[in-house]
This record gives sequence, C-alpha cells and structure tokens, in this order.
Amino acid sequence: MSAVATPGALDDRALEELAQVLGAEHLITSKPARMHRARVPAPFPVHRWADHLPDAVVLPGSTEEVAEVVRIANRFRIPVVPRAGGTGLTDGAVPLRHGILLDLKRLDQIHEIDLENRTCTVGAGVNMLKLNEILGKHGLIYPDDPASYPCSLVGGRIGTSGWSLIGSRYGHTRDLVLSFVHVLPTGDIVRFGDGGGAKISKSSTGYTLKPLFMGHQGTLGVATEATLKLYPKPEAELSPFWAFEDYDSAHRTLRELVRADCATFAGAVIFDEHKVAYLRRDDEAYIPQPENVRALICAVLYGNEDEVRPGGRRLMRIARENGAHYLGDEISQGDWAARHDRYATPLHGRTKAGQVVPMSWHCEDAAINWTELPAVRREWHAIVARLRNRSDVFDDWGMFAYTSTRTGVDYLTEIDVGIWEQELDDETWAMWVQAKRDIAAVAVAHDGSISACHGACREGEVDLVPEELGGAYDVMKTIKRTLDPLNVMNPGKYGLDGSFEEDHK
Amino acid sequence: MKPFRAGEQRIPPPPQQMSDVAIMRFEHIFEVDPKLMTEHVHQQHFPNWDTQRIAASRLDHLEWMHRHWATVVVSGEELLDD
Repeated sequence: MSAVATPGALDDRALEELAQVLGAEHLITSKPARMHRARVPAPFPVHRWADHLPDAVVLPGSTEEVAEVVRIANRFRIPVVPRAGGTGLTDGAVPLRHGILLDLKRLDQIHEIDLENRTCTVGAGVNMLKLNEILGKHGLIYPDDPASYPCSLVGGRIGTSGWSLIGSRYGHTRDLVLSFVHVLPTGDIVRFGDGGGAKISKSSTGYTLKPLFMGHQGTLGVATEATLKLYPKPEAELSPFWAFEDYDSAHRTLRELVRADCATFAGAVIFDEHKVAYLRRDDEAYIPQPENVRALICAVLYGNEDEVRPGGRRLMRIARENGAHYLGDEISQGDWAARHDRYATPLHGRTKAGQVVPMSWHCEDAAINWTELPAVRREWHAIVARLRNRSDVFDDWGMFAYTSTRTGVDYLTEIDVGIWEQELDDETWAMWVQAKRDIAAVAVAHDGSISACHGACREGEVDLVPEELGGAYDVMKTIKRTLDPLNVMNPGKYGLDGSFEEDHK
Repeated sequence: MKPFRAGEQRIPPPPQQMSDVAIMRFEHIFEVDPKLMTEHVHQQHFPNWDTQRIAASRLDHLEWMHRHWATVVVSGEELLDD
C-alpha cells in the first residue's frame, strides 16, 4: 500500500466498507453521477473531463458518517474531495486524483434558529436563499450574498472563504460564520470558532483557528455544520446606477462615494468601458444608452428606511457633484436584483467577425487596492486582447471591481472572459493557462492577491501562489503535512503534493 | 377583445433596429440582431406569447428578489429631487 493517498486505491473492500457506513443507496458509482460531479462552471476542455472523474460518489447524512468516510479513506489511502454546490470557479470541488467525491447535499437540515441570540445552526448542504426564505418569516436574514446565491451552499462558502456582494455592510463568510463542526483529514471531529462556545463572535482563548479552516478548498478537511450570525431583514434597499463618460471619472467618484462612510453602505461596483460594451450587445438596460456612457457605478444601501434615505441622498449628491448621470429607477433596481443570481445568465460571446457563439464564463477575481485599479485594468485587458487576437475561442467581457470593505481599501477586481468551451483544445487550453499565470502575475506585481473570492488553486494561477505568499506558503505546506499526513484530503490542490514528494518516491 | 389565433402567434411583429447589434420586436424586449446568428448559433422561433411570457417571468423574478432582500425598494428618482 502506498504511503499516501493515490488514484486507483478505491477497491471492492473499500466500497463494501463505505456501503456499510452509508447504506448502499448513498454510495453511487454510476458514470452519469460521477460525470455530473467531475466539473464546475469554470471552462475546461470537454475532451479532458475524464481526467477529473471521481471513482465513487458518497452522500453522507451526518457528521459521523462524513468522519467515517474519511477514516476509511485513510485506511485505504483513497483521495477524498468534498463538494457542496459545485459552483466554485477555481476547481476546489474538482477531483484531481479521482477517489471519493464527498457530496454534502444531504446535510441540508436547519438544526436551530435562536431568535434570542440571533443565530442559526445549519448543515453544510443548506443553500442561503432557501435558508433566508425561512429566516424571513422571523424578520431575519443571513446576508451572505455571492453571485451564486440561489445555488451555492454554506459548506462551500466555508471551504472557499467566500466573498459577498454586500460584504462592505455585513462582512463576508468568514465574518458571518460564528463556528462550525469540522471533520479533520484524520476523521477526528472538532468545532472551530472563536473560543469554545458555538455562538461566540470574539474570544481570546487559545489560537484563533477558525480562519485556518476556511478557504482551504477541502485540503484540510470538511465542515459539516455551521452556526451563523443573523441580522434583521432590511427594511429598505437602494441601488442607484450612475453613468460616466470615462473610466477615470468613475474611478475618482468611486473613492468619494466610499469616503462618504454612510452607515447603510453595503457596497459599490465600478464597470469599465469593456463591460459596458459587452452589456450593449444584448442587455436591455444598456442597448439604448447613449454612446458617451463608457463606465458605470452602482452603490447599494441596506438597512432601516429612515437611515437608507438620508444615506442615499448624500450619495446622490456626491455622484452629481462628480459628473455622474443617474440611470433611473428601472435600470438601477432591475440590474441590482439580477446581481444576486449571475449563474442564471445565458452566456454567449462573439467571434471577431461578430457572430454569436456559445461560451462559458471565466472570471479572474484578484484583490486589488483602489490606487492600482487603473493599471491592473490596462494590463489585464492587454493580456486578454492578445488571447483574442490569437483565437476566437476567447472573448473579453469586460471588468468590474467591487468594494470588499467599507473603507474602500481593496476591491474584488474581476475580468470576465468568455471561452468557447466546445472548441477548447489542448493548444488553446495551454494559451489560457498561460494567460491565467500572466493575469495572476499582474495582481501580485501590484501588491494585490490573486483571488478575493474564488480561491487560487486552478491551473495557471496556482503557480503564482508561492510567489504571492512567500514564507507563508511554506507554513501552508507544513500545516498540510501535519494535519493530513496521508494526503487524503483533496490531493493535488494548491501544489501541496510537494509536501509529500518523499512519500510518493 | 381580439380572439386568440394560434397562427398569428407565429408571426412576430416587424423588427425595429435598436443598435448595430440589436433589434426590438416587442416593447422593451431586445433581441440580438439575427444577422449575427447565422453560423454557430441560430435563433429559435418562439410564438409571440412565449417571448412575452419569458420577459414577464424575468421581471417577476427580479421583483421577487427585491422582496426577498428588503421590505421596501427606495426610489433613487425621489432622492434626486431632494
């Protein structure tokens, strides 16, 4: 038997043990079920899907069953990849070494709603939209709001340390999850939070371990149950969209809007001219806009109505003083409502000749300081323009940047690239992977971070992670080897196989 | 009231050119110009009622999303006047 987890280790004996733990109906080996869980929305060459096929899918119904699956995997040296909604864009839930796909969707119970302390405790397979439908009856909301809001799950949000559209008001997943039950790579079950209590938001007892077990993309185990911080459901929402004649004016205005420091400010996003041009292709809100509309800003406020209104007045005044033109209620309200659900958007790109082609959506999502946004924007578009010049497989869908926090120090900075997935062959895939390296290198060169939202373990970008993190990457490897000595959990991700080279020999 | 004629539903209103790349057949419902959908992706033919149903459903969805997140949607146009 190998010293560490390896592909092909799932034999009949292991399958028998898994079936005993889970029941035969929750152990699936059929090809469609495995194919279905072999990928995520990010584009990948169709002819290589088999590279990422798990050997079996398991659907545990409790933390104890998850732990038992991980223990069996350790005994037989089988790779395990946890998967929640499968909506991630950095392949966190994609098996690189086959093995067991641990599907968390049966952990979909709401265990408790604590109306006094305003918390709830849920399984990792609970979706935020469905949870909020129930919390709304109590006048509460769990405001973790990714672009995959209707389809991503709490467990995946923990595994990626997700980013929220309205995080500037309510915080991101790491701020909203108070604690969680976690199965370590050895199969041991522990709770990570602030201190020992499940509902504590700030503690100084012991090491602050909770953040370490968020955003690891399944390489350090799997969260099975989480206790979440709840807020009152907002009385009011305001989402003005403003138009600008150039990006630089919008960029300056963005700074002024953020500096207004309105208490109900939940976020602001800037769209560049490439994004506006993309929207003009088929978006009813932007097709009729005059040609001098070349950049946009949307600001969002949530809270009590008697606080949202004065905050909104202040932002309207600031925007007007900076030369912005309000796009009107219909566009502002409609476009913002659509931002909660970007995965439902039908995607099609254009060849250089202008013909419509079906494309998948890839977005790079660096964390960039406000001062660096214009330079990063220029360099990223140049990289994608070179790609597009070489092949119609690629299309530049423009950029936007969202506030990550209320002070406006850094922005989730995204370039959206359409990729004609059916035409993606080895040559164009190699071009894309190199472009991802180049895009990541720009983010690092501007003292940013490769990813604010998705994670950075996809082919291409992952090569730059040691450069970005420096000595911290070596600490990552040491932690991985210590906590997962058999490299069972999601092997191959983040280049952490390098920690186990001697074992593989 | 005009009676429903299934055959009429298959004849869309004449297009109005809205930009170099988009047309409009029904008010506020834009379509990619069919001349851009001749090689790799072809436009599908919908009965008129279905086109309007899809657009209306989208608006219903957006309205639902507003109610999901907050009780009241504040009008920016009202604040502009202040």
